[in-house]
Amino acid sequence: MTTTLRKALLGAVFATALGAGAADAATIKVGVIAPFSGPFAMFGQTFKEGIAVYQAVHGKTVGADTVEFVFKDLDQANPAQSKALAQELIVKEKVSFLAGFAFTPDAMAVAPLIDEANIPAVIFNAATSAITEKSPRFVRSSFTLWQNTVPLANHVAKLGVKKAITAVSDYGPGIDGEAAFKATFEKAGGAVVDTIRMPLKSTDFAPFMQRIKDSGAEAVYAFLPAGPTTLAFAKAFADNGLKEKGIQFFGPGDITQEPDLPALGDAVLGMTTSFHYSQAHESAANKSFLAKYKELFGSSDNATFTSVGAYDGVHLIYTMLAKTGGKSDGLKAVEAVKGLSWESPRGPVTIDPDSRHIRQTIYLRTVERVNGKLQNTEKDAFPAQPDFGYKLGK
Amino acid sequence: METLFGIAVDGVAYGMILFIISVGLSVTLGLMRVVNLAHGAFAMVGGYVASYAAQSFGLPYAGALVVAVLLTVLATLPLESLLYRRIYGHANELSQVLLTIGLTFVIVASVNYLFGPSLKRIPLPELLQGTVALGPKSIPTHRAFVIVAGAVTLLGLWWLLERTDFGIRLRAAVDDPAMAAALGIRTERLYMATFALGTGLAALGGVLGAELLPLEPYYAIRYIVLFLAVVAVGGAGSVFGSAAAALALGITDTAGKYLIPNFGEFFFYAALILILFRWPQGFFKGKTA
Amino acid sequence: MSATMTDAPPTAPTATDPSAPRLASPRRDLSWTAAPLVGLLGLAGFWVFPDDLGLMTRIAAAALYVLSLDLVLGYCGIATLGQAAMFGTGAYAAGIAAVHLVNDPLILLAIGGVAGGAIALATGALILHARGLTLLMLTIAVTQIVQEVANKARDWTGGSDGLSGIDPAPVFGLFRFDMVGRTSYLFALAVLVVGMLVARRIVRSPFGLACRGVKEDPVRVAALGGSPRAYLVTMYAVAGMFAGVAGALTAVSSGIVGLDSVSFSWSAEALVMLVLGGTGRLYGAVIGTVAFMAAHHILAATDPFHWMAFIGLFLMGVVLFLPGGIAAGLERLRDRLTGTRNGSAPGGRA
Repeated sequence: MTTTLRKALLGAVFATALGAGAADAATIKVGVIAPFSGPFAMFGQTFKEGIAVYQAVHGKTVGADTVEFVFKDLDQANPAQSKALAQELIVKEKVSFLAGFAFTPDAMAVAPLIDEANIPAVIFNAATSAITEKSPRFVRSSFTLWQNTVPLANHVAKLGVKKAITAVSDYGPGIDGEAAFKATFEKAGGAVVDTIRMPLKSTDFAPFMQRIKDSGAEAVYAFLPAGPTTLAFAKAFADNGLKEKGIQFFGPGDITQEPDLPALGDAVLGMTTSFHYSQAHESAANKSFLAKYKELFGSSDNATFTSVGAYDGVHLIYTMLAKTGGKSDGLKAVEAVKGLSWESPRGPVTIDPDSRHIRQTIYLRTVERVNGKLQNTEKDAFPAQPDFGYKLGK
Repeated sequence: METLFGIAVDGVAYGMILFIISVGLSVTLGLMRVVNLAHGAFAMVGGYVASYAAQSFGLPYAGALVVAVLLTVLATLPLESLLYRRIYGHANELSQVLLTIGLTFVIVASVNYLFGPSLKRIPLPELLQGTVALGPKSIPTHRAFVIVAGAVTLLGLWWLLERTDFGIRLRAAVDDPAMAAALGIRTERLYMATFALGTGLAALGGVLGAELLPLEPYYAIRYIVLFLAVVAVGGAGSVFGSAAAALALGITDTAGKYLIPNFGEFFFYAALILILFRWPQGFFKGKTA
Repeated sequence: MSATMTDAPPTAPTATDPSAPRLASPRRDLSWTAAPLVGLLGLAGFWVFPDDLGLMTRIAAAALYVLSLDLVLGYCGIATLGQAAMFGTGAYAAGIAAVHLVNDPLILLAIGGVAGGAIALATGALILHARGLTLLMLTIAVTQIVQEVANKARDWTGGSDGLSGIDPAPVFGLFRFDMVGRTSYLFALAVLVVGMLVARRIVRSPFGLACRGVKEDPVRVAALGGSPRAYLVTMYAVAGMFAGVAGALTAVSSGIVGLDSVSFSWSAEALVMLVLGGTGRLYGAVIGTVAFMAAHHILAATDPFHWMAFIGLFLMGVVLFLPGGIAAGLERLRDRLTGTRNGSAPGGRA
């Protein structure tokens, strides 16, 4: 771990040194706002690794311009601070792009700024559908809850499940997930018997499990943001005898993200999730992505959806630069990537010209132990899923 | 009826985990009058040591637990003489807050640097996996173990503080430090021992509670409000008070989540306010045990 | 075994109390210079750091917020970890008003102040009978409940997505809020200076002196016919108004309000900044806020990944080497330079 960080720091030093050396060619700066410390540091770390992998593969220059990343730490959701950091990046660092954004409010906060400064912002993670509606200069390379949930809900209905229950974390994305599941599942003829919203700070999930058990549902749709609470949740699910009672688990793949899998252990074995990226995705693009990851950081175990979100986000930035020749017109740059298709480590993707959100294959995966290591094995695929939540209102 | 029983069992299991982690804070706060906000950080250090010992050296659970408690105490003892000793006493409460928050930040950053931000686990032995049946309700074996461990801790502390020479001296030193010193009680050593007791309990709680409060660098800050709530409701310094408070809060939280899941947070804090109205000094104010 | 933390009223970390000794000291009282000095230094900052106005705006608003905590902690001895409840209520009230009703920034500040004062009055009357750890816990619980309300009332507050779309009109109809943040900063600085002046008037008024009396010796105040609790609740509400204005100021200058503005950690940060600067001085709050946020900013910019360790060391260093906070250290330095020697020299422990 320490060597990884040291390497990363060295990399950053070299990047700045190179940037300073190539004074005659222009240096294009990209400001990355993300949590690099604090409880959500995993986001920042994987963003940074994804960026480093992309730059290692595709070089640090586009045409004659050197691309340099400036990192700003925003340790938890704090829109006012996000806006101040963006302001500083634009005014002081003179960045041509903003990127990063782990949480919805942080992204929303910069909407008026990027419009006034006319620069694009590429969202690596924040997953509420409403974000890209707030400014025409937002482009998103991650996912939305609607996108991951709609195919999953249809799948659950197809399995013959009649009664389901939802249990989501009580915040924007969780409520999006609940709404998406309820709408889709009921349209497919199922019934949602109860909707539970769990406080984000919950540590003990046993009472929720008891309630799910007592509800008479055959399946549970659950969403929690990746991180410590997923462990307690998965353990509670395994320990409270829900499996034995025949209640099936479904949810977006945040809950079984790769860095957490070793800690989650057998508790998540056999869990079915839907998501846009699995480390175990079988493709040449993913293989070379992981190989580079391993080369740079010693291990590719932490490569996960946020790393790929950043990796593809940088691809968007590079493409915008290449197509507009570094001219600073944010709207034109965004225009240049509308409809852009490419092969990402996650599979084939396209930027939807309307929503500026990434259209992608959503995979149905099951947690399995392969060669002693837990992984999300892809079982089924739903190609070219758009953001179903775009312009749907609340 | 079955539902009530289920809530009670889950609540007691949760409460006991809260008790084990919080009682160390109650000891340092009540007996040494140190607002030790680094308590969560010490618990986290204990958990990480156990995790590292178990994962990298293959130590069994019990061994990892002992190593974690010992190493955490050894590692934090110098802090007592270097830092805490300068800020003992009532007049320094705000300095204590600032100093221990600073210490927490340093520990959080160090753990993040050394182990990274991902979750860490302490593998459970076969014996503690699976579930045990308690009448109509089954609970995880590990939780049953924690309930027993909590009960043992409770009795052990009561015995230590009420029945041993150490306990008598400690209470004397707390009541009147000057008089105790005049009587030949070496208060400095006594304080050091109490501090060690507090951090040892923190580490114990960090390890035993890791299934419920997972180990990650921000652990140190994330749960401190919960620990403070237990101490406030129980009455600082009271061992039985902490136990009663932890159980009451555990059951309240469980009942709230089960009965009105969408307003569980309201229920918990509203109950906390009501309890503190009825017992503004905590359940067992002024009693050590 | 009766002595617990809950027994004694919380006191400031040192005997550097600004009240009685300072007024009686032969030294000339220079505390009136604080507000104009902050204004001047703030204006200087405007020219020296023209690229950092976003950060400096946040500092100015936060300083007003920390100042509100000083009113209750420094002058009434109420240790609270719930100041964010008032800050956040003010921010949300101003934000909601801006989205639905009015957009004049001054009216929005007034709305924030009234909202912050109202919630402080209501909760203060309820919880200020308690002391020490119990009071800390009660203030935390109040903050958590306010945060839950904000989270649940998504239609009004935007919940966890944040309340966006706050677009204030130009100040006095003349100065538009620009992207670089010139208007925001000067506006925030002006509000801070006015806030300091008003706060100074309050703490020197008979009411303010009575509050200090309650802090020193509640029994005597009661014996003289005053109601200690009424004084405390009133000051708590006044401080709530300050915090509410600070929240509204943040909402107006950033254009968005998030759940973080009613969080426990924001309350705790206020306490850290105040103790860092020094309690019971008003200007200590400003010094602490500037020191903490600037240190945070510089450290996080140099090392976005491990700045926490350095800020932790910084806090510990202040406790160990500058007891009483930065302001107390500065006073000791001034006394040494001017050769002032008197019995009540600040910094000495009683």
